[in-house]
Amino acid sequence: MNHSHSNSKYISNFNSWAEQKRFVNFTDEDAALLQKLHPFAVDYADVFVEKLYEHLQKFPDTKRFLGDEKMLMRLKLAQKAYFMDLTSGDYGEGYFKSRIKVGIAHQRIGLPPRIYMSTYCYYMQLMIPQIYSNPTFDVETANGIFSALHKIINLDQELAISAYIHATDEVISRQTEEILEMSTPVIQIWEGVVAAPIIGMLDSGRTQQFMERLLETIVQTNSPVALIDITGVPQIDTATAQHLIDTINAVKLLGSQVIITGVRPVIAQTLVHLGIDLSGIITRPTMALGLKVALDKLSIKVVDVSKE
Amino acid sequence: MANQEAGENPIKSEGDIVTCRKLIRNAAVAAGFGMTDVTRIVTAVSELARNVYVHSGSDGVMRWEILHQPGQIGIHLEFEDYGKGIPDVDQAMEVGFTTAGTMGMGLSGVKRLMDDINIKSEVGVGTTITVEKWGRAK
Repeated sequence: MNHSHSNSKYISNFNSWAEQKRFVNFTDEDAALLQKLHPFAVDYADVFVEKLYEHLQKFPDTKRFLGDEKMLMRLKLAQKAYFMDLTSGDYGEGYFKSRIKVGIAHQRIGLPPRIYMSTYCYYMQLMIPQIYSNPTFDVETANGIFSALHKIINLDQELAISAYIHATDEVISRQTEEILEMSTPVIQIWEGVVAAPIIGMLDSGRTQQFMERLLETIVQTNSPVALIDITGVPQIDTATAQHLIDTINAVKLLGSQVIITGVRPVIAQTLVHLGIDLSGIITRPTMALGLKVALDKLSIKVVDVSKE
Repeated sequence: MANQEAGENPIKSEGDIVTCRKLIRNAAVAAGFGMTDVTRIVTAVSELARNVYVHSGSDGVMRWEILHQPGQIGIHLEFEDYGKGIPDVDQAMEVGFTTAGTMGMGLSGVKRLMDDINIKSEVGVGTTITVEKWGRAK
């Protein structure tokens, strides 16, 4: 597994946002047009916020995100500040950073993007009639303001949605690492014998983890024998086989020996078809048989005391 | 994931190889292939998808189709990439030949796992590998 998850491939930096502005054709003229709306936005911000939250409270799904009275007050204040920001005319780095912060905050409280997006739709429904009925704007200006507002909202949405995706991506990447850690346990099953059951395919990321852990455990427990069980491996291709052989060779360098167990008939057949030579390696169809070989090697005899 | 009779999946990351295997495993099982054949087919998919990811140096795509003939079921698989291409296809099919420090058994292994393999490649343009496997219908 490569590390594409851990870097921010979705979240924009300020430079890429500038590029995004060019992409939606957001110009200085747009910024100026939006600024024309600003005095109006300041006057009506409170009315807008009240109407918006009245609307949001009609839906049980949405209402539960609004919290108690105190929380609601905070949200309304934030919303008001945002409405003012939208028409401030300054869409620089400060604006950019606060949009990202909002996206991440929304993701954290689990607000669905659906609600976030639809809220804009409602905002536009409030805003459009106001733009066109404003006597100080001629039709051309009103059209320009409408277009500019549409662009800045699109830019904002892109940032917030990217922040959402980024945050979710972080969760996936953390979980992937956790799975990687958990999926290849190495356990001491007898004095001198460690066992490692592999579940799923061995890709290069897992092999690295697995090999490290196996070698460490062999040294820690001073074990001459390691059983690698492949019962849980659905199929072995040449890359997986190569990873296994590399692991076996590394174990050999420590002076210990590997027994591959859990070789199912179908796996045996495909290995032969692929032409992979495991003739120098001890293999057994089950872990029980592998353990028997291991105990023989250690000259340990297990007796059934009831038959003595 | 729905079991489809035909479809395609991009190959752009190691994760896509996992998806390819899963899609084909489901499709082959649903089509009625026996477990031995399913394992052979999925192993071949794993080889060929990895070929696209590791060797071609570009993105690629896997396409599949389940085939029906009286008393027989088949699967047709196509792996296409737009990568650097294979200069000498015959040499690439030889056991032990590798340009990537790997085992060099992938393509020759796939040939033995499947019934039919066909490689079309042009240097600098890309490679298309098609394979087929037939089994008795249940």
